[in-house]
This record gives sequence, C-alpha cells and structure tokens, in this order.
Amino acid sequence: MQLPAFMGGIRGKLIAIFVLIKVVPLLLLAWFAWHATSLLGGDVSEKAGGMADAMLATIKTIGTTVTDDSIRALDLRSREAIEALTTDTAKEIASFLYDRDSDIRQAAALDPSEASFRRFLAERQRDIHQHGQWKLADDGKSWIPEIPVVREAKVTRPILPDNAKDFHARPPEYLGEAERRPLFVEMTYIDLAGNEKIKVTHGNLTDKRLRNVAERSNTFVKAESYFPELKKLKPGDIYVSDVIGAYVPTQLIGPYLPAALDKAGKPFTPEESAYAGTENPVGKRFRGIVRWATPVIKGGQVAGYVTLALDHDHIRQFSDRLMPTEERFTPIADAIKGNYAFIWDYKSRSISHPRDYMIIGYDPQTGRPATPWMDEELYAEWQASGKPSDEFLAGVQPFRDQNLKRKPARELVKAGTLGLDCRYLNFSPQCGGWNAVTEHGGSGSFVIFFSGLWKLTTAAAIPYYTGQYGKTPQGFGFVTIGANVDDFHKAATETAAKINTLVAQKDASFKAQRSELLDHISDSLSATALGLWGSTLLMVIVVIGIAVWMAGLLTHRITAMIDGIHAFQQGDLGRRLDARSADEMGELANSFNRMADSVEESFKRLDQARAEAEEASRQKSAFLATMSHELRTPLNGILGFAELLKLELADPTHQEYAGIIRQSGEHLLNLVNEILDLAKIESGEMTFKHIPTPIAELVTECAAGHQVAAESKGLRFALHLAADLPEQFYTDPMRLRQILNNLLNNAVKFTERGEISLAVSLKDGDVAFTVRDTGIGIPPASLDTIFEKFKQLENFLTREHGGTGLGLTLVKQLVDHMGGRITLTSEVGVGSTFTVFLPA
Amino acid sequence: MPTTPRLALVVDDQPTNRLLASTLLKRWGWTVLEAESGEAALALSGEHAFRLVLLDISMPGLSGEETCARLRATPQGAAMHIVAYTAHAFPEDRERLLANGFDDTLIKPISRQRIEELITHLG
Repeated sequence: MQLPAFMGGIRGKLIAIFVLIKVVPLLLLAWFAWHATSLLGGDVSEKAGGMADAMLATIKTIGTTVTDDSIRALDLRSREAIEALTTDTAKEIASFLYDRDSDIRQAAALDPSEASFRRFLAERQRDIHQHGQWKLADDGKSWIPEIPVVREAKVTRPILPDNAKDFHARPPEYLGEAERRPLFVEMTYIDLAGNEKIKVTHGNLTDKRLRNVAERSNTFVKAESYFPELKKLKPGDIYVSDVIGAYVPTQLIGPYLPAALDKAGKPFTPEESAYAGTENPVGKRFRGIVRWATPVIKGGQVAGYVTLALDHDHIRQFSDRLMPTEERFTPIADAIKGNYAFIWDYKSRSISHPRDYMIIGYDPQTGRPATPWMDEELYAEWQASGKPSDEFLAGVQPFRDQNLKRKPARELVKAGTLGLDCRYLNFSPQCGGWNAVTEHGGSGSFVIFFSGLWKLTTAAAIPYYTGQYGKTPQGFGFVTIGANVDDFHKAATETAAKINTLVAQKDASFKAQRSELLDHISDSLSATALGLWGSTLLMVIVVIGIAVWMAGLLTHRITAMIDGIHAFQQGDLGRRLDARSADEMGELANSFNRMADSVEESFKRLDQARAEAEEASRQKSAFLATMSHELRTPLNGILGFAELLKLELADPTHQEYAGIIRQSGEHLLNLVNEILDLAKIESGEMTFKHIPTPIAELVTECAAGHQVAAESKGLRFALHLAADLPEQFYTDPMRLRQILNNLLNNAVKFTERGEISLAVSLKDGDVAFTVRDTGIGIPPASLDTIFEKFKQLENFLTREHGGTGLGLTLVKQLVDHMGGRITLTSEVGVGSTFTVFLPA
Repeated sequence: MPTTPRLALVVDDQPTNRLLASTLLKRWGWTVLEAESGEAALALSGEHAFRLVLLDISMPGLSGEETCARLRATPQGAAMHIVAYTAHAFPEDRERLLANGFDDTLIKPISRQRIEELITHLG
C-alpha cells in the first residue's frame, strides 16, 4: 500500500500511530457511550411508555372492576329492592282482595234492599290515581301532558353543615290526580234461580237491568259463568271470579303516533285503539270486574246470593302506578322504557298491564275469550285447526317449548289481538320463569334480554287464597315487575362513564406526558450526542495536536540527526551530531560521531596518501620528462653530427663508421622512446585520445613508408582494406600509428623473403588490423611470452635485428589501454600473423 | 615589419646544439646568428628581423617559452617563425608549446631531413 507522502516519514507514522491508538479508542468510546445512551434513552422511553400503559391499564381495570362490582352490587340491591317491592305489592293486593272478602261477608249480612246496597257501595270508595289530559305533541312524534307536572323537593330551612353530606330531599310522592271512586261497580242480590232481584250499579260499565245471570249471555260481556259456581257454595263460602272484561284491541304495537299509523296504512284514531300509557294516553281503556259472591242465609237456609263486582281499575292501581326506579311511582306507565309492573292471574293470564291491549279479555259479542298473542308456530296450528281460538287452545299443552327464538305471529299483530296468556305466549320464556318462582307461593327474579332490553324481571305470588284462588300456593296469581337493568346501575354506569372519561383524560394526559418525556429524552439524547461528539471531536483535535507536537518533538532530533548525516555525506566531514542526551538517540549520535571521526581520519589519511601518490607521480613524470630531455639532448649532437659527418666524409669506410654511429644513436633513441612510453603507460601518465580518425587514410599513409622499406629488401607488400570499413572511427590516431609502425617494422625486419601484408577489416564490431609476414616465425614456446619486456627470442634476435625488445610489449600495452586486444599466430619458418582488434 | 629572408637565430645554452642547427641551416644557404640565452636572443632581435628562430626551451635565465612570448611582442614578432628547438619530446609538450606561441617544434635529436622540411616550408 502506498502511504500518503506526509505519512512517509517517522513523524507521519508516529502521528498515524498516535491517532490510531488514541483517536480510534476515543471514537469507539464515544460511540459506545452514545450507543449506551441511545439504548438507555430507548429503554427509558419504552419503560416509561410501558409504565404509563400499565398504569392506564390498571386504572382501566380498576375502573372496570369497580364498575362491574358496583353494577353487580347495585343490581343485587336493585333486585332485592324490586323483589321486595314486588312481594309487598303482591301482599297489598292480597290484603286488598281479602278486604273484599270482608266486604262480601258484610254484604251478605245486609238486609237485601236497594237502599242498603246503595249505601253499602257508597261507603266503599277508594282513590284511583289518573294522569291528566295528554295530547299529541306539535311535532306529532310523542304524546305530552297538557299540563306538565313539575315536582321539586322543597327545603326551606337551612341545612346544617353536619347534614350537608349527601343531603337529599324528595317531593311528596305523586301518583297522579286522585279520583275518589267506589270499589264496586255493581252489587246484586240473586235468587236461587239466578234472577237478579236487587241491582245497584255505579257508572255505566254493567247492565243496569235485572237479568238472569244463570244465562251467560246476560252476564258482563257475556263472559261470566258464576251462577253455577254459586250453587256449590255453602253458607259462608265466598266465590271470587276471574277478571272479566272486554278485550281492547290495538291498531299497532308501540307509540300510537300519526307516522306509525300512516306507515301501517291505518287512520289515526287513537281513541279507537287501546290505551297504552305514554304510548297512547288517550286510548280506549280496558274495563273489567272481579265478582265476589256469597250465599245469603235466611233461617239457616240459602235464600239467595249477594255479589259485588269490583272495579278492575282498583286492582290495576297496584301495578299501574309502580315504577321500579328512583321515581318509585308514576301517574302514567311507560312501557317503552321497560320499567313497569303487571299482574297475572292464577292461570298466568295478563290482568293488568300498561298496555291495555295486552290484558286478556273477552269478545263482548260472543263472550268467548279473545284470541291471545301466539307465536307463529302455534298461530299456524290454530289456523290449521279451523276452531275458535279458545277451543283450539284448550287442547294445547300450556308453556310449550317457550324460548326467545320463537317469533310472534304477525297476523295477530295486524289484527291487534295481543292479549297475553302466558300459557300460549311461547316466544316469551319469562312466563315459565315467573311460574317457576311463584308456583309455590314465593317470589324471585331473573334477568332476560327481551324486546331489545336487558330486563330484570321479578315475580311474587299474590297470597290470596279465597275460592278458586285457593287451589294453588300461587293464589290469586302473581305480580311481576320488569325493570331495565341499565337503569338499576345507572349510577354505576355513570361512574363507569366518569371513570372512562377520567381514564381517557388520563390516557391523553399520560400520552402527552409520555410524548413530552420522549421529547425530553430525545432532546436530552440530542444534547448528549452533541456534547459527546463535540467533546470527542475536541479531544480528537487535541490528541492530533499532541500527536503532531510529540511527533515533532521526537522526530526533531531524528531530522536534526538526518540533516547532520546528510551534511557529513555531502562532504562536511567536520560535522558532528548533538550527543548530549543520555538516551538511545544520544547513543546513536555518539556512535555516528565516532564513525564520523574514524571516517574523517580515514579521509585525511586517504587525502594524504593521494597527495603523496600524486607527488610521487608528479616526481616520476618530472623524472621521466627530465630523463627524456637529458637523454635526447646528447643524442641530438650524436645523431646530427654523425649524419653531417657521413655527408662530409669522402672515404666510404669512414662513411660507414659515421653511419654506424648514427644507427647506434637511433637505436638508442628508439630505446629511450619506448622505455619512456612504457614508463608513462605503467605510471598511468599516458593519456589516450578518442577522436574521429579516418581509417583508410591513416593506414595507407602508415603503410607507404614500410612498403618502401619492404620493397628495398625485395619483399612484396600488400595492403587490403575491406569494402565495409567505416570512413572513420574513434581512437587515438597517434597510438594506432605507433602500433602499426611497430608491427610493420617487425614484419619487415624479420622477413627475408616473401610478402608483408596489412589487412584492415570489420570483425564482430571491432576493426581488425592484421599484419602478416612470411618471416622466420616464432616458436610455440615463445608465443606466450613474446609480449613481455625484453623477451624477443632470447635476446638473440634483438641483437641480430637491432630490436629494442620493448616494441611488442609497448604494442600490447597500447592496445590494452585502447580497449582492444592483440592475437598472434605463428609458425617457425613460415611466418607470423599479428591481429589488433580495436573497438569500432 | 617584414623579416629578413633566410636570416635565422638559433638560441640554445649548449654550444653543440647551436652549432648543429647552425651548420644544417647554413648548408641550405641561411644566415644564422646564435644566442646562448633568451636575454641574448631578445637583444639580437632588436637588431635583426629574423625569419626563423630556433628556440631552446630549457635554458638558464629566460625560459624558451618566456623568450618566445617576448619575441612575439617585438615589432617583427608576428612575422617571425618561432620553432621550439627542444628535447621535450612528449606529445603534451608539443601541444603546450604550440599553444604558447610557437609555430612549430623541432624535437631533438634533429635530422637533416627535418631541417630541410622546416626551411622548405618557409621558402
């Protein structure tokens, strides 16, 4: 990996290491802290949220539990209260009925006369509470009282602080406008044949004429059949009849309102339809009677019978005014809300109901029981039977498979005959329930979902056992109170609603707090992050700064050392490093200084040696020059005058002597020249040129002189120049000439017959100069030493041929110094070939 | 200033060398004056316009090179053919001398033939 330039030095590396060992952990630490903080933040957020949720859940649970418990408690309390109310009502009814037993007994003791009867009836009156006039509301969507009754508790004295808590006052109970009415609508005296002898009536309900009641059609709504029962009575026995009345049909179920009638396709005639409390306050009332009868004894014999027809409205008062709610009583029943009471007779027939059309009755035309409400199945069976309903129902098993899944017969709804006879009201299983709790004379309750409402329904047997009512513990029948369960625990549900509101508020508040908390945590985290990373960044910068500074501090000495070494390297041999510190760096500097001392010393010695060598060389050169000069100076005279002498002398012998002097001088001169050349070469004094040299010209010129010498000895001389020779090549021309002259001199000198040749050619990038002769040749033993000094064939040849013995040595030395080489092949008596190779 | 044709000066501290050079020049019909030192040569040069001067290099007193320089400074110095007459035979010596104002070199030992070439060249 290529490090960046600034990282290349020790300083850079130190900084990098610093950064690596400091900054990386720092960053890791910062990251770890941040991560942990984030986790903590998240955890806290989650926990806080979880706590809030758990708290809310707890509150909700508590709320629900409290509500449920409250509901349960309230329900139980309500149930108890309503059951008590039911039982009390049943008892009151029984008590009321028993009072009528007293009445009939007293009536029996009367002297039968119209006057006494009239007085008797007048004496027996009771309040009947009625609501005032009601009218259809202006919008036609409800019935409203013409004069609204506002009831407010009146508290005029100051409420003492001690009583202030839950201080509560109720206005006087209001059951409606009281109307004083006789208990009985009719009082008769009947003879043993059934003829009414005396008859006092009140109101217009019953026939005012004296009739024979043995004939059913002469009785009230042609439905009474008591006379046969009277015959069975013994003195003191009391007969009590069923509730007898004409059935009042309805045009519809529910609020009798124009829109509903319109929907049903019927004319809006509320007065023609059955009364139904708030649903139809102006409707036609069910009017009925319960007849008491007992024998009148005269002289120990039954002389006749006295009867009292109780106005059924007095019985209804017990149930119609009841409200199983905090209202307690109402002047008008409201069946819609499901809070109302009704009374069933010993045959489980409805004899008191807020909706008059649900009270069982008789067809006043025929005296037959009106058709009761049936479920679809029973209705279909009835229709299939083709019998009058009472005949058909007489053969039907009562309470047959009653359950909520059964559907009421729609045809009966249309017909408006909806009297409730529990025995055949098979879509209404509470009938069985009521009987279950009352058939043994007790009371009880259960909750049932009916008509779209959860209803607590209670039942209490009416403990009145006179006459036919004494056959079962149920007595006269039973009172039932239906109560909308929701109403019982309204307080609890209100509390629950309050709790729910509180919980919702708390929820919102918790959510807001939680959101605030989360925001706070988030802000806190952000601040932490900012602080953390900011301080980390600051620390990183500081660490890098310290790293740079420390690296600088550390490397300063190294760079100073390197500078010193560089200076030393550049030739400042006197340069020394600062070795004052006692650490490794000081030791290193010391080592360097010692080395520098020794190097400097060596350099000094070298300089000295070189100077000495140079001086020696200079002296040698001077010696050689002087030598050359001093040897040549006398030779000038010797050679010059020998030549002159030879010219001047007339005697050939003298001339020859002069010639010998001259030759000897020349020999000496050659010797001197060659010695000096060798000396120069060996001392390194000789310098070689390297200049462009025309080959052909040099060789031709060189050959010319030797050709003359050769031919004067009778030898042939040949010069061969290869065609591919370059025009010129780089060499030292003077030395090349000296080489060739030496070789050619030798060739001419040692050849007596034949030919001398000089050939120049290119061989493997070298210029090859070949001098060949047909001379005496060189013995093989001498081939290796021929180039050594004074080895010229045992000096013999030297003497014989006048050679110096230094020529070939010089040639080889020159060739070697010119970067070439020389080869020799020779055969004694045949000739020799010298080849000089010089780089082209 | 023109030189005198065939008037030569041989300067050498050794009489033998002066004699040899003079003899050889005279054989070719030159008039030759001799001087045994540079100082003497300079003195003579004031009196004569030498066509050729053979000047030894290694001499007591003024050296040949110094003498050459001074001769060149004389009115006829430029026209003078000054030849180093010396036993300093190394090629570098010759180069040095030619560079220091000498027209030619005449290396001892000299030969008749060499003198002949020299004066033939001068005409």
